[in-house]
Amino acid sequence: MRDLKIDLVHHLVGLKETAALLFQRNLKTVAEDNMECNSVVDGNVEEVPSKKVIKFNPPLYKQRYQFVKNLVEQHQPKKVADLGCGDVCLLAILKYQKCIEELVGVDINEGRLKWNGSRLSPCVGDHLDPRELDLAITLYHGSVLEKDCRLLGFDLAACIELIEHFDSEDLAKFPEVVFGYMCPAMIVISTPNSEFNSLFPCAVFRDSDHKFEWSRMQFQTWALDVASRYNYSVEFTGVGEPPTGAEDVGYCTQIGVFRRKAEAAELAVLEHHGEHVYEVVYTTSYPSLQQINYRRRVVIYLVYREVSRLKQKYQVSLRQHELEPEFIAPGNQTGKFTSDLPVPVLTEDDKAMEIAPQPFCIEDKFYVPLQRIIAYPRLGHLCGNVEKLREFLGDVIELNCDGSAVKVDLNDCSDF
Amino acid sequence: KSGRARVRARGMARSPGAAEVGRARGPPPPSVVLIDNEASSSSDCERTSRISQKYAGGISPSDSGCTVQERGGKVRDIMDLAVCTREKLAHVRDCKTGSSGIPVKLVTNLFNLDVPQDWQLYQYHVTYSPDIESRRLRIALLYSHRELSNKAKAFDGVILFLSQKLEEKVTELSSETQRGETVKMTITLTRELPASSPVCIQVFNIIFKKILKKLSMYQIGRNFYKPSEPVEIPQHKLSLWPGFAISVSHFETKLLLSANVSYKILRNETVLEFMTDLCRKTSESCFTQTCEKQLVGLIVLTRYNNKTYRIDDIDWSVKPTHTFRKRDGAEITYVDYYKQQYDIILSDLNQPVLVSLLKNKKNDNSEAQMAHLIPELCFLTGMPGQATSDFQLMKAVAKETRLDPLVRQQHLARLADDFQRNKDARFELETWGLHFGCQMSLTGRIAPAEKIIMQDHTCQPASAADWSKDIRTCKVLSAQSLNKWLVICSNRAESVTENFLNCLRRVGGPMGFNVDCPKIIKVQENPAAFIHAIQKHVKYEVQLVMCILPSIQTSYYDSIKKYLSSDCPVPSQCVLAQTLNKQGMMLSVATKIAMQMICKLGGELWAVEIPLKSLMVVGINVCKDAFSQRTMVVGFVASINPRITRWFSRCILQRTTAHVADCLKVFMIGALNRWYRHNQGLPARIIVYRDGVGDGQLQTLVDYEVPQLLSSVIEASSNTSPKLSVIVVRKKGMPRFLAETGRNLQNPPLGTVVDSEATRPEWYDFYLISQMACRGTVNPTYYNVIYDDNGLKPDHMQRLTFKLCHVYYNWMGLISIPAPCQYARKLTFLVAQSLHKEPSLELANSLFYL
Repeated sequence: MRDLKIDLVHHLVGLKETAALLFQRNLKTVAEDNMECNSVVDGNVEEVPSKKVIKFNPPLYKQRYQFVKNLVEQHQPKKVADLGCGDVCLLAILKYQKCIEELVGVDINEGRLKWNGSRLSPCVGDHLDPRELDLAITLYHGSVLEKDCRLLGFDLAACIELIEHFDSEDLAKFPEVVFGYMCPAMIVISTPNSEFNSLFPCAVFRDSDHKFEWSRMQFQTWALDVASRYNYSVEFTGVGEPPTGAEDVGYCTQIGVFRRKAEAAELAVLEHHGEHVYEVVYTTSYPSLQQINYRRRVVIYLVYREVSRLKQKYQVSLRQHELEPEFIAPGNQTGKFTSDLPVPVLTEDDKAMEIAPQPFCIEDKFYVPLQRIIAYPRLGHLCGNVEKLREFLGDVIELNCDGSAVKVDLNDCSDF
Repeated sequence: KSGRARVRARGMARSPGAAEVGRARGPPPPSVVLIDNEASSSSDCERTSRISQKYAGGISPSDSGCTVQERGGKVRDIMDLAVCTREKLAHVRDCKTGSSGIPVKLVTNLFNLDVPQDWQLYQYHVTYSPDIESRRLRIALLYSHRELSNKAKAFDGVILFLSQKLEEKVTELSSETQRGETVKMTITLTRELPASSPVCIQVFNIIFKKILKKLSMYQIGRNFYKPSEPVEIPQHKLSLWPGFAISVSHFETKLLLSANVSYKILRNETVLEFMTDLCRKTSESCFTQTCEKQLVGLIVLTRYNNKTYRIDDIDWSVKPTHTFRKRDGAEITYVDYYKQQYDIILSDLNQPVLVSLLKNKKNDNSEAQMAHLIPELCFLTGMPGQATSDFQLMKAVAKETRLDPLVRQQHLARLADDFQRNKDARFELETWGLHFGCQMSLTGRIAPAEKIIMQDHTCQPASAADWSKDIRTCKVLSAQSLNKWLVICSNRAESVTENFLNCLRRVGGPMGFNVDCPKIIKVQENPAAFIHAIQKHVKYEVQLVMCILPSIQTSYYDSIKKYLSSDCPVPSQCVLAQTLNKQGMMLSVATKIAMQMICKLGGELWAVEIPLKSLMVVGINVCKDAFSQRTMVVGFVASINPRITRWFSRCILQRTTAHVADCLKVFMIGALNRWYRHNQGLPARIIVYRDGVGDGQLQTLVDYEVPQLLSSVIEASSNTSPKLSVIVVRKKGMPRFLAETGRNLQNPPLGTVVDSEATRPEWYDFYLISQMACRGTVNPTYYNVIYDDNGLKPDHMQRLTFKLCHVYYNWMGLISIPAPCQYARKLTFLVAQSLHKEPSLELANSLFYL
């Protein structure tokens, strides 16, 4: 097994040299829109001397990120790692995904991580309108070729344009760490497809730091071997469609999506007592509804909102009935509230609200039963039951004596 | 211009430093554009990367507004500091401090910032070969270079500041881009700056901004706020984020950091929620109109990034299902865009879009850019529009934000502790060679209490904050009797009005104010009926019109004031019927109203002893008209007798946006004429208190307003013209002073003067605490004497200013600014809020606007 691998790498290195010779022409610029974030943030797409230029729309790096994003949307992973995260562009896209609870980036360039870390911090709006699930983001300074137990138990690891930067020795180590040690449920690996390079006017590799660029055959051979060794399945695809007439070269970027065959349960993934070799460069955690203070806050705001809406409706109906004295009949202190506003088409939610207990009025106090509040779908979702709702409201909102309804002044001039 | 170029332009201009400089007008400050790069957080990079994706048409969804960091800037204050007025004032050049009064030890909110003696800032110019246009890339390349990685630095893409000198004058470094392109960076030393240089002050401010960000605070406007400890006021949908306003500056003798506790008001309400609520409250026909009226001009914060936008318009024809063109040319609906970009699902597909005009930072001629914002994704910020009249809300906010001295001190102590203990903060300070020192204490002086002179009695009030009890039985200095006057009230208010008039007569007697029976006119409850009655019954000989208003609705007040202040000038007194219903309060209400009426009829209430025998004091205030942002209201109030009890008040509307008054010469000559008529001569001295000065306008004041005043004074007399002093009054300063009493901290006693340490070396300035803060921490008023022919000793100038804080007739106690300023403020407020036109000259001799 081991011999075979080494052979393969040797073979590849040899290939790299031939490829270099083959593609060495007079141009040094790279045509692929492969500038990643640095140049993209400029909004300044490099003007390449007008040779034969292939431009992707959207740019290829975006297509790669989009591919990972689609995978996330499709498989809803909770823990996602970006190995070789660079300028953290992919993480900055993934942080909006609602399913993700832990997002990790690893890179050997500490400066870039430090520089870009704050891109991932929650914004003001995340505090005002917290997400449903927790989200923790951590950036580690370290090599993907080193084992750190904090990278165990992930659902998805992305290695976007990573492996081609490894020399043969590192490439040999890589599967053992990522597939063997980390063994996330899913791994996505992208790398240039050297067959596509024939369409570029330029030389050698797409990046001067690339140690090799593989043909589809080379990549797939390597991938299938790794997959079989570590009990993964692999599917091949890519992004960057070739132009018409040159379809046979395949995608510009080739991608392998690996899935672990064994279930996580049998792997001791949760044993986190390994070594911490990575250095934490940046870490942040997002406010979420899982955190009791944020949930409570949202509940209180929603209750205030709902109560004031109902009160307002009631006041409008009172005004409309001012000329009809029988509405508030003497002796009948409890005026039932019925909406007189033209109600548009009832949705399912509205129907649920219809059967919930109605608000009522006793003297100058207006009451909204907690049963009704909990029938409001979002509040029902946040609180679950009336007891929980009562607990959330605590002493912030006044309840009636048996604690079954919210009690407010009917004629409180400050309209909340 | 290509979208790309525009984006680039925007990207370059949108950093805190650049924004500041962009705002500065007039002479550029002696400084450079400077950006705290490392700290240019999330939004900075995200913003640029996102922007690059769209903008082909002129419209985009919202991604390119201002960052939260953006609004406001400190450069304008720095510009003021360059105006050295003290050096021209010979009598205070050597010493500007007073000596009288009882010394008092005060704790300040100022912290020592120690810089080593030989500390220098090295300024370098950086060029790239091949040239790189992207500021971000330039910064990234420089920052990632080993040579500089451990040095303290600030870099904006062109100018680099280091605290340590590089070995060579010209250093060449090379770095590789991600594409493997080798870029040569040439770093050339251009300047060596001492710590006292204004440029260094800017760098220090940037360093502290960076540190506050590292302490997990968010910059909103100028200040930094902590989202982790919000104060919630759920019944008003408000979240208050505690935070700090900080600034580093050179005070009298040294470099100090001033820190103040500040709260950011955020509303837990999206624009969409606001609109739905409004829709429920108003009729369908006027919904769009009301909506626009209430929303346009508000600042919103977008859900998905840290940017704020001003709502300039609402486009009801565009829906989230409509498409816009992204920068790459692709058409996409707003719904899809937000789903793709931020995984946000819009719930209401019928909402309109908000339109925000983006500021053109480059000041070139390219057309203004618009951003479309989805109401559902925008949070409102700041106080709600009607908030100021919502007593409950204001009370709730005040309760949380007005911290008493001790709590305030605890907040500051925690911040200082963070600066000293937080690892990142300490590292940052250490690499720059700065040391964050202790909180500064200083000694103030307490000016002696003043006696209040009434007609036949002089009293020493028990408390200078409120002497209403002390003078209850005293006669006012002079009061005209009220013989012929009208009262207009609604039918419903008839009995309370009768009751009130009895009270008025009862309290009037002991004051020396004779009130005869008015003619009472009963009208229906609508503004038109009130105006109609006034038009019908107000004749030449009517001395005063009193209106008992049925509601607080401004239409009553505004239309009555408008008519009686300019169309048909008669003093008027409006009283809310509601106020007269408070039974127990009747006597004190009647007393206050009686005093206002005496003033409106041209009477005088009380005086303080003025040692200068022929002194005119003037108050000037400038503010914006409430209706038109392009109109300025200038109020001018001058005393016309030596006792400083009678006033001449003028007000004008001026069509400019600058807070600078044009018409001072006319006003001043008018006031001198009045004085001459009353006193058969000109005043020997004139002291002008100028209020309502914006940041960065000091130079304009010196160049433009002072000469107007001077020339009118010189022209007024052929032989000895009056001597002139001009003092700028400011209430919104950074420094705070607290008196230590044993272990407790309290607001300093009334009359506390501070004229050292917390002052500025380039100015003849002092602080005076002349008002009582019943809740919270008192805000000292800052006085800056920018012109002074009078040559009064600082002691006398301070005492005189303190005396003038006693003679504002609308309040039986001390106030925070000199009375002429407060009169001018009251006058401009009436004109800016209600009249929107000049009041009649016939009223100029009375305090008709009280």
